[in-house]
Amino acid sequence: MVKQTYLHNEHVKLGAKMVDFAGWHMPVQYTSIIEEHKTVRENVGVFDVSHMGEVFVSGDDATAFLNKVVPQSIDKLPYEKAVYCQLTKPNGGLTDDLIIYKLGIESYLIICNASRVDEDVNWLSLNARDFDVKIDNQSHNYSLIAIQGPKAINLMQKMGYNIENQKSFTIKSVAIEGIKLLASRTGYTGEDGFELLIRNNDAEFLWNRILEKGQEFGIKPIGLGARDTLRLEAGLHLYGNDLNEDTTPIEAGLSWSVPKDKKEDYNGKDVIMSQIQYGTNKKLIGFEMLDRNIPRHEYEVYFNKEKVGEVTSGGVAPTSGKNIGMAYVKNIAEICPDSIIQVMIREKLHDAKVVKRPFVQKRNRV
Amino acid sequence: MSYKDEMYCTKSHEYVVKEDGKYVIGLTDYAIEQLGDIVFLELPAIGDEFEKGETFANIESVKAASEIYMPISGKIIEINEELPDAPEMLNQDCYEGGWLVKIESNAAESEFDDLMTYDDYKAELE
Repeated sequence: MVKQTYLHNEHVKLGAKMVDFAGWHMPVQYTSIIEEHKTVRENVGVFDVSHMGEVFVSGDDATAFLNKVVPQSIDKLPYEKAVYCQLTKPNGGLTDDLIIYKLGIESYLIICNASRVDEDVNWLSLNARDFDVKIDNQSHNYSLIAIQGPKAINLMQKMGYNIENQKSFTIKSVAIEGIKLLASRTGYTGEDGFELLIRNNDAEFLWNRILEKGQEFGIKPIGLGARDTLRLEAGLHLYGNDLNEDTTPIEAGLSWSVPKDKKEDYNGKDVIMSQIQYGTNKKLIGFEMLDRNIPRHEYEVYFNKEKVGEVTSGGVAPTSGKNIGMAYVKNIAEICPDSIIQVMIREKLHDAKVVKRPFVQKRNRV
Repeated sequence: MSYKDEMYCTKSHEYVVKEDGKYVIGLTDYAIEQLGDIVFLELPAIGDEFEKGETFANIESVKAASEIYMPISGKIIEINEELPDAPEMLNQDCYEGGWLVKIESNAAESEFDDLMTYDDYKAELE
């Protein structure tokens, strides 16, 4: 059974093109992916991301438990702060990537990928045996609306949000348009913005209020198509493409999210620590094509006529007009920023230049 | 008379229309609408020959890459040269300004058997 979010009717009314994604019937675009992409870079866009999973973790051992399942130091996470991390396997591979929010003493919220909720909950439960912890999958009771773009803050203020200086990667309990909700200053676009966690029954009202009050800021509803081009430009990973059970955070270029000094043991720690010390066999690189050809998921990558890897995510970057991608390649020193690699597209090799991620300047640090 | 009155369409969304003894080939408005923002187009070279059903061009939208098939067999005698440099023009007009190639063809009558008028094609899509 394909699931529908509580905003499904709104998407249909807005004329969205709907597709099946991770078991959900979701809007892929309303008008044009490129137009929607630019709206988020220049003004503000609203996304229905209710398909994502919400799992609450609480109990006396909640902190110790989370410390065991992710590389990040959850014991150092302050109240109302969020942290990007990964659920690691014993081999260092990833069950999922997620954001953990500290809601209170021994009380946390995990927001995870729609396609991985069941695996995540299973994996968490399996690891919870020796801990006094409650794992409460509330995904079916919550909707999630993201407001993203340079004018997101103006729109939030117009709707009654009055918190001074809510920093990036924090979560606050606020009232907007008379609705109590959790506002997290996070997103998946590289822009400033908020993700609003609400009860399902409030979703339709809030969605329409956002569109109404956002009009003066040039708001548009944004589908999953632009969500993908926005995150790719921002150099953000997509689980299933750029991350999976056979990629470690170090291989994925996520070393910044792995503390080197964490005392506690966690799943995959020995593999991950050894990779930090001795290096990895493969690495994730960013690249841009030197001609009009578009790299896509699973296209082969060559260096000096030898196949060295595969594209994991690729497509057009509407901000620069370039065609960009990310790929896992053999970890050799010669493949570094500015070196030339080739991507096999329709049985021909096309030159691309290795570049640093993100592909656009991120503007979400506040 | 517009293209839509005279053209024949394939199930894979190409159209072919006879004009001055040549055949003009392109993609239907339905195909373009389904693809969304067009960002890449690769056309064949003049002189290339293709059988009916063979891939003669490649098109990509932001979302995906697709192949374009010959509605009838023939030899490429003209291509819409400006399009590969500005493929987004197809989102505005895929007919009079947005045709892809012109061919000369000695296709047998039977090659037209599975082609549909635009009205039948639209009806088939419903």
